[in-house]
Amino acid sequence: MESFFVRYRNIVVLLAILVAQIVGLAVQVRRTDSGRNVLDPGDGPGVRLIRLWANALVSPPERLIHSSTSGVADLWRNYLDLRHVREQNQQLQGTIDRLRLEQAELLEDARQGERLQALLGFQEKYIYKTLPAQAIGSSGSDQSRVFYIDKGSADGLERDMPVITADGIVGKVRDVFPHTAQVLAINDQTSGAGVILAATRIRGILRGNASGQLEVVDITADERIKPGEKVLTAGGDMVFPRGLPVGVVEKVVPDPDQDSFIDVIVKPAAHLNRLDEVLVITSTEPRFPPQEQHDLTTSEALDGAQAAAIEEQQKAAQITAERLPGLTEPNVPPDQQPLNDSTPPNPMAQPPQPLHPDRFSPAATTDQEGGQPAQADRPHPAGQSPDAQAQPGQQRPPRRNP
Amino acid sequence: MSLLGADFRRDLEIRRYPLLIYVLVPLTALVLQAWLPRVAGSFDWFDLPFVITVYFALGWRSPIQGTLMGAAMGLFEDALSHHAIGVNGIAKTVVGFLAASVGVRIDVENHIARLVLNFLLSLLSSAICIFIYRVLLGLDFTWHWLTELFLAIGNSALAAVLFPLLDRLQVRD
Repeated sequence: MESFFVRYRNIVVLLAILVAQIVGLAVQVRRTDSGRNVLDPGDGPGVRLIRLWANALVSPPERLIHSSTSGVADLWRNYLDLRHVREQNQQLQGTIDRLRLEQAELLEDARQGERLQALLGFQEKYIYKTLPAQAIGSSGSDQSRVFYIDKGSADGLERDMPVITADGIVGKVRDVFPHTAQVLAINDQTSGAGVILAATRIRGILRGNASGQLEVVDITADERIKPGEKVLTAGGDMVFPRGLPVGVVEKVVPDPDQDSFIDVIVKPAAHLNRLDEVLVITSTEPRFPPQEQHDLTTSEALDGAQAAAIEEQQKAAQITAERLPGLTEPNVPPDQQPLNDSTPPNPMAQPPQPLHPDRFSPAATTDQEGGQPAQADRPHPAGQSPDAQAQPGQQRPPRRNP
Repeated sequence: MSLLGADFRRDLEIRRYPLLIYVLVPLTALVLQAWLPRVAGSFDWFDLPFVITVYFALGWRSPIQGTLMGAAMGLFEDALSHHAIGVNGIAKTVVGFLAASVGVRIDVENHIARLVLNFLLSLLSSAICIFIYRVLLGLDFTWHWLTELFLAIGNSALAAVLFPLLDRLQVRD
């Protein structure tokens, strides 16, 4: 017996390790009610321990690499940012003012929406609190589109919290460690998010495919869906708040598995392959966050000030118009004032003189009728025909056949 | 130099490295594999832990050591992903065993032989992973053959660069 193990020890060790791993795999898979096999979303204690060890080993060097590379990059970027900063600041200030006005215009719609939602017993959830985080690493495999961020349970992160950027949604927190967290990207095959096409209002489920593209699946064929249509979160998946940008429709392809169904390929709004800084939505509430409330108040005040300023300008223009001589006639009714005169300021130009006037020429006829001599012998300036004397912009009269 | 020469290969000594290399190189490979795809974006067609597993398994020429090395690297990669732990573990266990077994029979100094071996073992590793996902576990898992081909080519290219560098680290008597 001993000689058997010694003789075949290589194969025995290989088989022992393979069997151990296969048994380990078996306990991680469970069968659903529909008869499909799925990976257990909640890791068992043993599996979680292995993930924790691996994370504890890899995260510190990753943080070190990330902080050192980003430190050098920041130095260079900060230098570049300092150039033209004054102009950019002015432009941004103008943008803020414009956005505040737009916000104030939308405020009434938002309040009306809130009132209607209250009437319907539906509560819209707003992004109340976010936590910025840096992406420091990935799984290293294109079959597992997850990445790691430098915030964890110590920072208040929990499973299933949505992760976004300013451009659009990115994924959700899948696993939380003390100082890091694993985020499942929306272009992974196992991810899922409820989305709605903005123009056609068609709902579907967003997931990733084998190539890492986003696709909305289980949609019946609809000719209205066109490339370029915006895709937003629908808010029904209990993860992402409603209305966040997801991407735009890139193309529509037939579903290879189901007839009369289509897959909508979506170009993501966020740069999923080059993520650096992300925001984790740690809290959603049925009310505006304090900062947003403050912005709204500022916008309202700005809107009021803007309206007052416009009124002042109109008054000033009125006074100036009244004081200007010639523009207002005191003895003429208001609707006949020169300011309100809508007739064209330039009178109709005279037609050019004919080259060889005869009795059919309008001027000649008029002159003959009036007993005046025709202007046929009127001299022309040297080198200029009568046509050339016509004013610019005047149309040349049609040539008549004799 | 003959490519296949079992007697000749046995006469050669087994490659040895400083102890620190055994720890640092695999760990660096795992960290870089987790970090580099962020820089490479969509072009992450390489598997550093795989290349390191093949390199050490070929050099050691011990199937048991190759098996253990492959299992450790694969399990580590699985732990960093969100998939079941053991898929890459099984694939790289087989790869480590085969690389070490083949290393006894071929000339591991021959660069072309090592590159071809890398390419074939990479395809085999992908095939094992897909087999485990779709057949053994019965999961709904889609894959694309072109991606696996690019991965094999990328691993071979990486091996062409890394193997000569790692050769310099070995202890010579």
